[in-house]
Amino acid sequence: MFEKYSGIIPDFESFLKAVATPQPYWFRVNTLKIGEMELVSRLSDKGFIIERFRNLNAYKIESMPVKHPGATLEHSFGYYYVQDISSMVPAFVLDPKPGETVLDMAAAPGSKTTLMAALMKNEGSIVANDTRASRLRALGSNVERLGVTNVMITKGDARTMNFKNQYDKILLDAPCTGEGVIRKNPKHGMPGDREHRYFSQLQKSLIKNAWNHLDTGGKLVYSTCTFNPLENEEVVQYAVSKLKMDILPVEFPVPHVRGVSFWEGKDYTDISNFVMRIYPHLLNTGGMFIAVLEKR
Amino acid sequence: MQYLKKDDYRNYFRDVFGISEDILKNYHFYETRSSVWAYSGDIAPISEAEVVGVRALRVRNIIKPTTSFLRIIGKYATKNVIFVDEDQGMRFLSGESLSEICQSLKGYVVVRTASDVLGCGLCRDGILISQVPKKYRPDSTWL
Repeated sequence: MFEKYSGIIPDFESFLKAVATPQPYWFRVNTLKIGEMELVSRLSDKGFIIERFRNLNAYKIESMPVKHPGATLEHSFGYYYVQDISSMVPAFVLDPKPGETVLDMAAAPGSKTTLMAALMKNEGSIVANDTRASRLRALGSNVERLGVTNVMITKGDARTMNFKNQYDKILLDAPCTGEGVIRKNPKHGMPGDREHRYFSQLQKSLIKNAWNHLDTGGKLVYSTCTFNPLENEEVVQYAVSKLKMDILPVEFPVPHVRGVSFWEGKDYTDISNFVMRIYPHLLNTGGMFIAVLEKR
Repeated sequence: MQYLKKDDYRNYFRDVFGISEDILKNYHFYETRSSVWAYSGDIAPISEAEVVGVRALRVRNIIKPTTSFLRIIGKYATKNVIFVDEDQGMRFLSGESLSEICQSLKGYVVVRTASDVLGCGLCRDGILISQVPKKYRPDSTWL
């Protein structure tokens, strides 16, 4: 079902093998509530075998004595958050600092919001928005559990919503067709061209409103968890050509490849060397696309 | 929703739990109809906001602290704190009331073990009544 991507995903056979196997769990320590070493020691004492990835606060669970990694008191206390490392990268790349103002336009369930709050040490402000009440409940619940106090949660259509401020940084982890999370949701059907085109239009509307709310010189991270260039390079190229944003190279120490240069007759070579694609077979994770843009 | 800034609520945490101004000054307190929110952000709450920071108090008929906020600042409490051992802690988290723990204490307390703040308890007639919400109660399969 991923055959259409055989020409753009390197080492395609390994990719197919990876997406056919269950995805390992990763987590990060919630440094707002506990030190990394203390939590690692507590989970190790309980029988978790975990491996830290390089110098990042990102741990792969090799084995655990419970069915789900959230079935511990430490999780209930908000000491850690189960999150694939590929999903952490957009927040790490945005690199929010204490005191900055950040808008997270499509925030639920709060994985990246809560990571950004930790990076900001609960100082500065994050406005975390989403559309549906059920998703907002999950966001609110995670914010509360992790002890995040610098977040304001709003409910609205991020394509048109007035977020009332200009922001230093914006994360647009856009709604997408979700091909990169198929290992976590194997029942997730493969999207067709119509869905890709629908989401591409939606994402362009979202990035336009992100631009409206970004301070001059402000940084926007655009990310999705899908592979189709219509939802990735196409949207970034729109931001560069129509909104006149500058594209910056994404640098982060996880295995990745650069973007797609050509797709269905479209030429993306002006931006493809700046963006990052994380594929499941590179680090045994989910898939992610990440681009960094700056407002002139 | 209307958020009214009322930093006087700092006095509640100072007076009841002995938490220092140095800790409390990190938060602004905003009142809505039945709740008080602790917020460390700089941007003033906008009317579209559904949540601002973490709910710190419920203020309907009486003032009641939340487990969520006590899990953030409870480690700095110097008054109305009850230390329990691990077995008592698990029973408390499961919603059990514990007798012969409160001694002379009355009203809302921070309940903690040596390493963790477990949440809000209520001392009434010498009995410690768990105020931990059901969503934080451990399942029997948890470690």
